[in-house]
Amino acid sequence: MLQLNVNLLFTIINLVVLYLLLKKFLIKPVTDVMEKREKLIADGLNHANEAQEEALKMKQEYKDALSGAREESAEIVEKAQVRAKAEYDRIVTEAGEKAGNIMNSAKINIQSEREQTIKALQSEIAGLAMAAAEKIVSEKTENQGNQEIYNQFLEEVGDAHEDSDND
Amino acid sequence: MLEELNCNIVFTIPVFGGIGVSESVVVTWIIMAVMVLLSIIFVRNLRVENPGRKQIVLESVIGGVQDFFVGVMGAENKRYIPYLITVALYLGVSNIISLFGFKPPTKDLNVTAALAIMSMFLIEYSGIHKNGFKHWVKHFAEPVPIVAPILVLEILIRPLSLCMRLFGNILGSFVIMELLKLIIPVLVPVPFSFYFDIFDGLLQAYVFVFLTALFMNEEQE
Repeated sequence: MLQLNVNLLFTIINLVVLYLLLKKFLIKPVTDVMEKREKLIADGLNHANEAQEEALKMKQEYKDALSGAREESAEIVEKAQVRAKAEYDRIVTEAGEKAGNIMNSAKINIQSEREQTIKALQSEIAGLAMAAAEKIVSEKTENQGNQEIYNQFLEEVGDAHEDSDND
Repeated sequence: MLEELNCNIVFTIPVFGGIGVSESVVVTWIIMAVMVLLSIIFVRNLRVENPGRKQIVLESVIGGVQDFFVGVMGAENKRYIPYLITVALYLGVSNIISLFGFKPPTKDLNVTAALAIMSMFLIEYSGIHKNGFKHWVKHFAEPVPIVAPILVLEILIRPLSLCMRLFGNILGSFVIMELLKLIIPVLVPVPFSFYFDIFDGLLQAYVFVFLTALFMNEEQE
């Protein structure tokens, strides 16, 4: 029972053979699959990380672009406002000037017209006065005294003068 | 009874005046055949993605054993792990094979001695491989040269203890079980069989490979 013999050698050979067989058929395939899976997972994680980083970078870029656009639009609006204000001022001033000119010319027109009217009226009054005087003189010479004639004349002329003042 | 304890010669190779091949070697062949066959069946169509339940069990067993050995020896000794797994599986199967009516090969001193000699070579080889031959020679004289004889003896003592522990445990449990079956053949041997055939067998397989790994680790310091 307690003896060492050639079966020891056989057992060693058996063990070596078993080791090689199990390594080839059991351990290597299983560890290979496990390693492959680990690699796959690690690759996947790396890939995901890269993708996330890229997405963050893109997001930052978009944000920058967006804020740039916002600033630009604000600038454009401001410029437009300034320009509109300038235009408005210009138009208002121009209109004011034009109105002033028109008023001036109207005043001048009115003045000259009034002068013309006064002149015309004066000459007419003079004519009227002459006619009235003639008429009175011719009518009244016979019936009335001189005093009365003068009075009448003066009355008529005064009336005419008042009328021309009211114009 | 004594008949049961002896390792019979199954057949004789008719060279050099007849070489007797013992029962343990033949049973080992059977174990090898079954294990390789099962490996081939289990390992068939493994998939990296979407593994089946069978594959998950297989991977968790192999991965768990690997992690265990990595924990004992460190990741730099991964190359020794397949051998240790082989020995663990072989011992596990051999120690509980008495359940299937075979005589456990580990009941034969030749088998345990062979395993121990392999472990011895592996232990010393791992030390030499890691630190070089010079360091291996020098480490016998550390911490003081006076311990050198003891440390040299340790080369043999370690495998001897491995060999005898395994042999004694399996032989002892085998003898106890045979005696029990002889005295009370019904029902009573069942709980004892659980302990001596299954628990003790698996425990001894675990202890053997664990100590081998531990000694390797020690030798590499």
